[in-house]
Amino acid sequence: MPGIEYLLEALTLTNIMLALGGVIAGTIIGSLPGLTATMAVAVLVPITFSMPPASALILMGAIYTGAIYGGAYAAILLNTPGTPSAIATTFDGFPMAKRGDGDLAVTLACLASVTGGLVGAAFLLGLAPPLAEVALAFGPVEYFWLAIFGLTLISALSEGNLLKGLIGACFGLLLSSIGVAEISADVRFTFGSQVLLGGIETVSALIGLYCIPVLIDLVATPDRHLKVTHQPKGFRLLESLRISWKYKFNLIRSSVIGTLVGILPGAGGSIAGLVAYSEARRASKRTEHFGTGEPEGVQATESANNATVGGGFIPTLVLGIPGTPPDAVILGALLIQGVRTGPNLFTQEGSIVYTFIYGLFLATVLMLPTGLVIGRYAYKTIVTVPKAMLVPTVAFMTIIGTYSIRNSISDVIIMITLGVIGWVLNRMGYSPSPIVLGLILGRIAEQGFVQAWTIGAATEELFSMFFGRPISLAIIAFIGLSLFYPLIRARWIGRRRKVSAD
Amino acid sequence: MQTDPKANVARRDVGGMVTAAVFILVAVIALWDTTRMVDSDSFVFPRTVAIAMIAFCVLLIAWNLIRPESGNGGVPAPGASTVRRVCLVAAMLVSTALMPWLGFIASGLMAFLSIMVIAMYDPWTRFRKLVYPLVCTAFVVGFYFLFAELLLVPLPVGSLFE
Repeated sequence: MPGIEYLLEALTLTNIMLALGGVIAGTIIGSLPGLTATMAVAVLVPITFSMPPASALILMGAIYTGAIYGGAYAAILLNTPGTPSAIATTFDGFPMAKRGDGDLAVTLACLASVTGGLVGAAFLLGLAPPLAEVALAFGPVEYFWLAIFGLTLISALSEGNLLKGLIGACFGLLLSSIGVAEISADVRFTFGSQVLLGGIETVSALIGLYCIPVLIDLVATPDRHLKVTHQPKGFRLLESLRISWKYKFNLIRSSVIGTLVGILPGAGGSIAGLVAYSEARRASKRTEHFGTGEPEGVQATESANNATVGGGFIPTLVLGIPGTPPDAVILGALLIQGVRTGPNLFTQEGSIVYTFIYGLFLATVLMLPTGLVIGRYAYKTIVTVPKAMLVPTVAFMTIIGTYSIRNSISDVIIMITLGVIGWVLNRMGYSPSPIVLGLILGRIAEQGFVQAWTIGAATEELFSMFFGRPISLAIIAFIGLSLFYPLIRARWIGRRRKVSAD
Repeated sequence: MQTDPKANVARRDVGGMVTAAVFILVAVIALWDTTRMVDSDSFVFPRTVAIAMIAFCVLLIAWNLIRPESGNGGVPAPGASTVRRVCLVAAMLVSTALMPWLGFIASGLMAFLSIMVIAMYDPWTRFRKLVYPLVCTAFVVGFYFLFAELLLVPLPVGSLFE
C-alpha cells in the first residue's frame, strides 16, 4: 500500500480547495441538461496548465466526479438526464419525485454516488495494473455482446408491452445509424440533407425525448410539476442512510460493475448505469417495483456511474488508453504537463499518481456535503418556482444546452422535433426509454458487430468469433439470465407456493 | 357466449396499431435507402434492424386484431390545453429558427417571454408584470455570459446586428 506521505500531500490546503471547487463546479455544470462531464473537464483544463501535475489531476478528477453526480438532479427532478450517465436514473428517480419523494431520491443519489466514487477510487488505488489487463481482453465482439446486454433492459422498460419496447428500440437503432457510417464511411438515411450528415447527437436526442414531453404536459395544465406530500424536512439523510444500509449489497455490486465497465475504453457511465440497473432489477426481491420509483434503481445507477470515474482512470494511467471520454481530455492535459502514462507510471511517478488517487478520495468525500446542500437547493427551487418561470427556464436551458454541444441550430431543431415525436409515441403507449437505449447502444453494437464480422469472415472463424471467446460466453450467459430470470423466478415461486399449499 | 364485435373494436389499441403502421413505413423507407449502399458493412446492421422492426410491428398489429386489448399509452389529463402545447412547441421552434438572424440574446428573450406567457395560469398582478420580465432578462443575459464568456461557446450574434 502506498505511503502516508502521499495522503498528506493530497491533504494540503491548496488541494482541498481545488477538490472542493472542482466538485462544486462539476456538480453545477453536470446538472445543466446538455453540459456533459467531458465538456466540464475540457472547459476547465486550461487553468490546470500552470499547476503541479498532481494538483491538476485532483482538480480535473473532482470536476469529473462532480459532473457525473450533478447529472442526477435533472434526471430526478425534470426527467432529463443532465449527463448521459444519468439516463437510467430517470427510470426510478423521476417517478420518486412525482410521488413526492424527490428530496429522498436526491439524497439517495448523493450517498450512492459517494459510495460508487469511493469503490472506484479504491480499485484504482489497489488493483490498477492487473485490472488494466481487462481492458485489453475486450475485443469488438465483447463490445457487441455488452451492447446487446444493455438492450435486454428493454423488457424492463417496456411498461407492460414488450412488442412496443422492441419496436421503440429498433427505431432508436435506426436513428443511431443516420449520418456517416463509422466503419465504411457511407452516408446513410440523410436523404440529401446536410443537416443529418453528422447524425443525431445522442445528448440532444436524450434532452428531446425525455425533457420536451415533460414540458409539453407541464404547460397544458395548471397543476404543480412535482407533488409535495410533506413540508420539506431537511435532507432526509437518516431515512436515506437506512435505505442505503438495507440495500448495501446492491450498492457494492453496482459500484463494482461501474468500475469494471469504466475500465473498458469507450463504454462509459451510461452503459455502466444501464448494466448495473439491469442487474439490480434482476437480483431484487422487488423487481416489479422497478420503473415506478424504486430506491434500489436510483442507488444502482448512481453508484455505478460514479464508480466509472475511478475505473476509467485505470486504463488511462496504466495503459495510456482513456476509459471514458473525460479521461481522454485528462490524458491530453497530462501529456501537455509532460507526464508519460504507462505501466511504469505507478513506480516512476508515484508521487503524482498516489497523491492524485488520494485526492480523488478527498473529492468524493467532499461530494457528500456539497452534493446534499446543492441537491436540497435544487429540489426546493424546482418545487417552489412558479410554473410560469419553471417552464421557460427549462425550455431555455434545453435550447442552449443542445446548441452548445456542437454549436448547431439544426441540433436544437432536431431535439425539439424528437421531443414532439416522443410525446406522441408516449401517448400511443411507446415509452421513450427503449428508443434512447437503441440510440445509445446502436453505435457500439454496430461497430462491434461489423468489426467482429469482418475479422471472423477473414479468418473463416465466424461462429467461434461470436460464440467461442470466454468473455463473450460469460456476457451471453448474463444476457440469458437477464432475459429469462424473471420467468424462472416466477415459476420457482409458483412451485414453492404450491408445495407450501399442499 | 358470443362477444360483441363492436366492443372488441372499441377496446383495440388503435393508436398503437396506427403507430406500428407508421413504423413499418419508416422501416420500408430505410430498407429502400439501403439498396443504394454498396459496402455490406454499411447496410447489414440497418437492414437487419429494419426487418426486425417490420416483424415486430406486424406481430403487434396481428396480436391486437386477434386478442384486442386497450393500449397502455398515457391518459390525457382532464382539461389539458392543446393550444398551449402547440404554442409552446411553436415558440421554441420559431425562436430557434430565428436565432441566426436575431442572435442568441434577442431570440432567447423572445423564447423565454413567450413561453412564460404560455405557461402563466395565475393572474398578471403588477408585481408579476414587473418582476417576471426582469428575472427573464437577467436569466438570459446571465446564461449568455456563462456560455459565451466562461465556457467559450460561440453563440450566434445575429446577422441583423453584425
